[in-house]
Amino acid sequence: MFCRNQTTRATVARGSALEMEIRIGKFRRNDLQDAPPSQDSDIQKKIDHEIRMRDGACKLLAACSQREQALEAAKSLQTCSTRIMAYMSELQRMKEAQVMQNVPRRSSDAGPMDERLPCKGKVAISDLRIPLMWKDTEYFKNKGELHRCAVFCLLQLGGEIFDTDMVIVDRTLTDICFDNAIVFNKASPGFELRVELYSCCSEDDYSAGSTPRKLASKLSSSLGRSAGKKLRAAMEPGPCSPVSNGGASPLLLPVPSVPGPKYHLLAHTSLSLSQIQDGFRTHDLTISGNEECSYWLPLYGSMCCRLVAQPYCMTQQMMSGCLKVKQCGGDPQSWTNVFAVLKGTSLFCYHRQEDVEANVEPAFTIGINKETRIRASEKDPQSKVQHICISNQYGGEEVTHTLTAESREDTHRWMEAFWQHFYDMSQWKQCCDDLMKIELPSPRKPASITPKQGSLYHEMVIDSTHDLSSTVSDILARRMQELELRSQLGMSPTWMSVFEENDTKPAAFPRQCNSRLSGHSPCSPHRRPLSPASPPCCPRLGLLSSDASLTSDSDSHCSTSPCCHHRGWPEPSLNFPLLSSSPFGLRPRTLSLDAKLSTLRGRGYGGGGGTFQCPCQPPPSSRLSPLPISSRSPLSQRSTQTTLSCSSSTSSNSSSNSEGSHSPESSEGVLFSRPSPARRSLRNLRARLDPRNWLQSQV
Amino acid sequence: MSFVPGQPVTAVVQRIEIQKLRQGDKLILGFSIGGGIDQDPGQNPFSEDKTDKGIYVTRISPGGPADVANLRMGDKIMQVNGWDMTMVTHDQARKKLTKQKEDVVRLLITRKSLEETVSQSKGKNPKPCTYANEKQNLNDVMYTNNVR
Repeated sequence: MFCRNQTTRATVARGSALEMEIRIGKFRRNDLQDAPPSQDSDIQKKIDHEIRMRDGACKLLAACSQREQALEAAKSLQTCSTRIMAYMSELQRMKEAQVMQNVPRRSSDAGPMDERLPCKGKVAISDLRIPLMWKDTEYFKNKGELHRCAVFCLLQLGGEIFDTDMVIVDRTLTDICFDNAIVFNKASPGFELRVELYSCCSEDDYSAGSTPRKLASKLSSSLGRSAGKKLRAAMEPGPCSPVSNGGASPLLLPVPSVPGPKYHLLAHTSLSLSQIQDGFRTHDLTISGNEECSYWLPLYGSMCCRLVAQPYCMTQQMMSGCLKVKQCGGDPQSWTNVFAVLKGTSLFCYHRQEDVEANVEPAFTIGINKETRIRASEKDPQSKVQHICISNQYGGEEVTHTLTAESREDTHRWMEAFWQHFYDMSQWKQCCDDLMKIELPSPRKPASITPKQGSLYHEMVIDSTHDLSSTVSDILARRMQELELRSQLGMSPTWMSVFEENDTKPAAFPRQCNSRLSGHSPCSPHRRPLSPASPPCCPRLGLLSSDASLTSDSDSHCSTSPCCHHRGWPEPSLNFPLLSSSPFGLRPRTLSLDAKLSTLRGRGYGGGGGTFQCPCQPPPSSRLSPLPISSRSPLSQRSTQTTLSCSSSTSSNSSSNSEGSHSPESSEGVLFSRPSPARRSLRNLRARLDPRNWLQSQV
Repeated sequence: MSFVPGQPVTAVVQRIEIQKLRQGDKLILGFSIGGGIDQDPGQNPFSEDKTDKGIYVTRISPGGPADVANLRMGDKIMQVNGWDMTMVTHDQARKKLTKQKEDVVRLLITRKSLEETVSQSKGKNPKPCTYANEKQNLNDVMYTNNVR
């Protein structure tokens, strides 16, 4: 069908008659002869509904006083506006299609009319998670105002638009999680699911738009630099934020501009059939806006979600009727009467029609999948009816079933149904291999489980700090002796005094130790910014995330170096250990993924000729002891995920850990290539630390 | 085997003692583990709860020490020689299992079939082992050995 424009923006001209009609809600029927009136009026009803909702949201926004309410109302406003835009463009498209239909078509245009259309299906997206990437200084410092943003996601597929719940994000959160599961009905295989993340700054002092300019500039110049910047950014839309109602709209429906919070588009992405998988996947986000905008959040740049689809050919009965079936190789006269139902990847044959509703097991099932071949055979000389032969390969053997319908029309209809089914399966591709489950959102669990938003650390319970601190100090003391720390540094690290003292004075932490230890203060109860990882002439002792990490023999160097902004890790938040043992009951330090990376890199440096060896480790006598090859075949469930070639060989591991892990690490990767040692170790590190791998180690 | 963060974990466990086998100059156990708090729990094929970041047995070498000791694939390891395995990184777990100075490991494992066995056996009054996550309680917990 000829389609003039591919954009979804409605292009109703200002002051045009069509626009007037849309506003009034009437249509001149004589202009739209072939128009099915129900479709138009459906959309018109929806538009009216959304306009009413929008008006209500505006009123609510103007009336409400609390920030939360205002944010929610602004979110509804944004959603309604987007929906109206979508319906308008849908209407426009329909009108154009009708106009085009009236134009007499040339014969060369004919043809597409017979095109087969694939069946539609349900598409569900759930468990949206967007990781954040706060700067280390912001995360650990805990000073300054808490920059909070309210965010929500708008999901659009075809004509359906849904929004998620609103989430308040501040720097204690590591990810933005949306628990909603959103189901779109009537999606075609060529769908495009657009996910947009809107955010709005949620500071109380900055009510946009109402302050007069002069006063605003006076205020902003008198405030601190960063606060003033934010204020200015919040008050004017600025170059970094599009107008909040979704772009410059040529529509003339009056877009109400209300005072109050406005949402801006922060990031967006598009998902389609190829991204569907029965599991979690990570997708890239396109971020709009920059750091200067008030609604800015440091996004990692990707989004994880679970996108599944249930095409109707898998869930609904595509065709049913009475047939006669004969097994291949059986008695030529033994025809079985069955009631057959074509659904999903099989043709279910029941003895009687009533069995279908009664949920009785079918008499037998014939598989209909991508490898099935169906053909119509020669006409039976007696009844002049064609047989339908269905051939499948069952484990190397070919099994053919022969079916006969009651009449030629029936045969034709069945063949048509099979062709349509095959076409659907070819269009929906991986969705037709197996039925993917769509989990409808269960009723919300009682709030006791997640009482408030915030990081998981707020829910930690630490009972007796005294025991813990003595344990920690014992362990640290032992560690120091093992590593001969004192001799290296020539002084007792001042941080030890933290544990020798009573734990009643957290504020008295000596600050000078920061510079002494080459920029490391491992046991700071305050969130002190750490200088980047320096070469490990000085051992790093991270504040433990678990006792085990300090007493484990070779892996003692858990440093807490700052975020390295590694672009390769889509999920840094996974590595935050959930145990905490801060002896002073303060918010525990986290051991980030990047810290671990620098730890392992440090070990690598140590291997390359560091200044100290862990004396408690016996030098590994055989680094490259061969492991049984059969045991290292990668398991299938991981093979598709890893894109980094992890040379999993023990050689790479051993070369990077010269302290000697006594059992050569044999974390299995995917490829067995052996590049040069430097690349190998780095690649191995990456592969081992990439959370997309699900590592398995042989012990 | 789902859990609420911050609350003690309760599970029906079984003790398994594995004698390490000397192979060359190494002591091996003959199985592979997967999981850990730094791994993606969604890829664990053995866990019921896909947010479970525990350590699972992913493969058993046939005829190896673990096989002889009746460790099964899919078992979740709760403790190794008294060290907690429910809240450790993958590397930490591996290290606890591969200490060359120890020639026997005593594991506490749990699997779904144990729970079912316990719930199906009537007349007995099994006390599921209360397995607390807080480290300071590790030495104080009493375990009951459950029949398989």
